[in-house]
Amino acid sequence: MKMKIKAIAVNTFKESARNKMFYLLVFFGILFALSSKLISFLTLGDAIKVLKDTGLAAINFFCVLIAIFTGINLVYKEIEKKTVFNILSKPVSRDQFIIGKFLGLALTMLTALAAMAGIFFLFVALSGGGFDLKIILYFFMLFLELLVIVAISLLFSSFTTPILSFIFTVSLYLIGHIMWTFNEFKLILRVPFWKYFTQALYYLLPNLDKFNIKNEVVMNTALNPWTIFFSVLYALAYILALLAVTILIFRKRDFQ
Amino acid sequence: MPGRLLVAVFLAGLLLAAGVQNRYDTTVDYFANRDTFVSLPSGKTMKTLSFGYSNLAADLLFIWSIQFYSTTYLTNRFDFLERVYDTITDITPQYKEPYIIGSLIMVYEARDIPMALRLLDKGSRHNPEEWFFDHDAGYYCYKFLKDFAKAEFYYNRAAAKPEAPAFIKRLNAHMVYLRDDHKVAYQMWLEIYNNARDTLEKDVAFNHLYQIKAENDLALLKERIGIFRRQFRRWPATLSELLSSRLLAALPGDFAGNEYIYNPEQGTVSAARVFKWKRP
Repeated sequence: MKMKIKAIAVNTFKESARNKMFYLLVFFGILFALSSKLISFLTLGDAIKVLKDTGLAAINFFCVLIAIFTGINLVYKEIEKKTVFNILSKPVSRDQFIIGKFLGLALTMLTALAAMAGIFFLFVALSGGGFDLKIILYFFMLFLELLVIVAISLLFSSFTTPILSFIFTVSLYLIGHIMWTFNEFKLILRVPFWKYFTQALYYLLPNLDKFNIKNEVVMNTALNPWTIFFSVLYALAYILALLAVTILIFRKRDFQ
Repeated sequence: MPGRLLVAVFLAGLLLAAGVQNRYDTTVDYFANRDTFVSLPSGKTMKTLSFGYSNLAADLLFIWSIQFYSTTYLTNRFDFLERVYDTITDITPQYKEPYIIGSLIMVYEARDIPMALRLLDKGSRHNPEEWFFDHDAGYYCYKFLKDFAKAEFYYNRAAAKPEAPAFIKRLNAHMVYLRDDHKVAYQMWLEIYNNARDTLEKDVAFNHLYQIKAENDLALLKERIGIFRRQFRRWPATLSELLSSRLLAALPGDFAGNEYIYNPEQGTVSAARVFKWKRP
């Protein structure tokens, strides 16, 4: 079973790595991260802070784009090109297929992130920011966020078209970063139904801002180890839940 | 269509577009209306709309503000000054530069000291370990408001911060002196003098102590010399005569331990070293 999942994962990684879009986004991610130096010239005071802010934001943005664009096409392409028949006709279950796809995508994201992060880490050090180990922690948290996004895009990719998958994933990504506002509805809303409804949404939708430690990294403020621990736990739980739903949907799909 | 023709069409199109733009520019006076309107959503809204990129949003807004407030031909550019810096600091309250630069613009460009103090108070509230917000606020109160009591309050608060440099205590003591509480100021300077960690600090404290003591002693001596003249219709021959005539219990000396210089012909008394601290 492990070998089958590994074979699908490796194949997914190779397939993603062959995609020109992947290289283009990695290239632009690095380019924008390095161009943060230009923006830092425009500020007064701590230029390294601006350099880190803009660089990390650029890497974050392009990694999210890679995760969404690669994720939304993955399963859909297999179905569209009918290659899924070849795979599933072999002794490979649908569950293994989805898990393999997810792991392959995770590997793709890790490669893209490592390339951008490595270059940026050195760039910050050479620009006078020193070897800031908190940046590595930031990239780890970003990787967790990317895994959740990949799982979301994989879920949508398993039952709808790439365009709709894109819209749904981007919407969830944006909502995921303003989840803290949902908590405020508790104070504003008077009707109990809407109060509970928004609370339900708060717990059901992905809280991606949990993984956002840009401020703590850039401002060099203290990071609570429990925050990291709970974020890792949250990511694992959410990914498991998403993969479970994806597998359930994919099991029921009728390929023609 | 041949390739060369396409290149020619491309170049001609670009040239034409540039020409049209150039012609259009001559008909429009872009800077005719020198008033501008700045409308910004609140910091909370900006934070929400930045979707996880709030630091970047704050950076870009801060960089924009530096450019904007350097645009001197915009006559009403200060209308929303406080709003702009409130928004930036609401998005990332730990970002220290906007408090410093914002207050500088408020003080030196907009000439609105209370506004600058509000921003620096906010900076101090959100960054309680930093001393320089209170230091800057103290300086603005001293320099522009001439409110030495308020300046003392800020310097006192700055001095209590863990990383506060030694000179803050000196500024604090000087504010007490400027608001004419010589007794307390002398005690503060004495404490600085006794606990000085280097020669510079000791020398500075010495000079201030010398000045305060001399000011107080000379005022007392001048008063007693005046009484002496009214009683005896002449100036005392020496300062010791004030003791023999029981106008003084003891003759004060300067902080260095020397006697004050007395001129019996004019009845004037002065210190050997005079430090005239700037009174604003």
